Amino acid sequence: MFLTEKKDVKEIGEALKKYKKIGVVGCASCASVCLTGGSREVKEMKKHLEALGKEVTFTISIDEPCDKRVLKEDIRFVEDELKETEAVVVLSCGTGVQTIGDFIQKKVVSGTDSKYIAQTEHIGEYYALCGGCDACRLNFTGGVCTITLCPKGLLNGPCEGHNGNNCEVFEDKECVFVKSYDLLKKYSEEDNLNKIFEPRDYGHSTTRTKI
Amino acid sequence: MQIIPQIETPVSKNYSIFEENLIKLLNAVEKDPQYGARTDNSLPQIIIEQNFGFNALLLCRDLKENHKIKTAYAFNMRDKNRISLLSDLITLKQLGLKDIIVFEGVHPLKTEFKSAKPVYDIDILGLGLMLKRGLMNDIPSDLFNFGAVIGASAAVDFLKVKKLVEIGTDSFFINYAEVNPDESIIKYIKSNNKKLFLIVKELSIKGSLNDFIKTIDNLGLDGVIIKIMDESSNVFTRK
Repeated sequence: MFLTEKKDVKEIGEALKKYKKIGVVGCASCASVCLTGGSREVKEMKKHLEALGKEVTFTISIDEPCDKRVLKEDIRFVEDELKETEAVVVLSCGTGVQTIGDFIQKKVVSGTDSKYIAQTEHIGEYYALCGGCDACRLNFTGGVCTITLCPKGLLNGPCEGHNGNNCEVFEDKECVFVKSYDLLKKYSEEDNLNKIFEPRDYGHSTTRTKI
Repeated sequence: MQIIPQIETPVSKNYSIFEENLIKLLNAVEKDPQYGARTDNSLPQIIIEQNFGFNALLLCRDLKENHKIKTAYAFNMRDKNRISLLSDLITLKQLGLKDIIVFEGVHPLKTEFKSAKPVYDIDILGLGLMLKRGLMNDIPSDLFNFGAVIGASAAVDFLKVKKLVEIGTDSFFINYAEVNPDESIIKYIKSNNKKLFLIVKELSIKGSLNDFIKTIDNLGLDGVIIKIMDESSNVFTRK
């Protein structure tokens, strides 16, 4: 799931200052799970906008607004309302916001801040485990991502600052390289302990790269 | 065992006054009957560390050219990407400075620049790999004495040391963490005929330097790096 957090409504109000007729689009996938863009949040946003004196022309929750195929199907339900809409508040991650903006060719305003790909422990408790960094090294690390879980994103750690088994930065947390070491031992994959990772090739992970 | 001071270039001090005071400190250390004896002339007399302060390369150059002081340059992976590191390495080459000491670097969250974006483009092992392979025809593989700062308190540190030895790291600098480092790591480094030092922060030394040295005397180190807070440090002279 991609974690989002609700934006301050003041910022949303500022971005909509010159627009009167507003639509609201929610995301029934990730943003719904993290309570930033589900049907309840869409209703809340409608209320906020009306309190600001805006006319809400439509509200809709789209299963996956980041998927153009789904978006194309679902947006048909508000096709007529969209014509008279000046701006759309999107309660999804940045990918959803941009996909909708590109598709409807109207002003879009993001109602959330995009955080990271998250593991959900409980609603409200999330952890970043994967940074989507292009070349996955989990097969060599015992299944823990040192790039995401080490605050320095090291490949060949640990750093010189760790304190015993704990991280230098988050002192109450175990150093991810210690965890990786324990897991490789557990799975009898000692060979991987000696693997030297070459410097990352950022040329392959620039954001405009198309797969 | 050789004692080598290490200092960061300061943020707000006048360059000339700082340099002058640093020379006085080095002269005082050199004259000290206990710490002044240089047992190995291949080792640097001082390590200048680049952190937040003025450009440490300038100071390295001046110490070498104007004062004939053998200087090592210490820098981290936090602040520079590989392009910027290459630029520093080319500068070092042109200045004729051979001793470099690299560390991953304290994360910005643990500094006063909490909102700074950390770089960590490559780690020290990555830099070592690149250096020992030679860089873009400009930097031959044997140009620098590549020193790596390491921890030595957990089994994973041993693994990192093994990898660093494998890529050809010339010397090791153990970051002292209030307890003596793991002896198996020390033995491994020494068995590979690598130079080995302990980096100790001045503030970690509670009594006299001499008393502290006694506690680490049996570790078989080639030297101790004392990271001093500023150039007026009395760690070398206090009893």
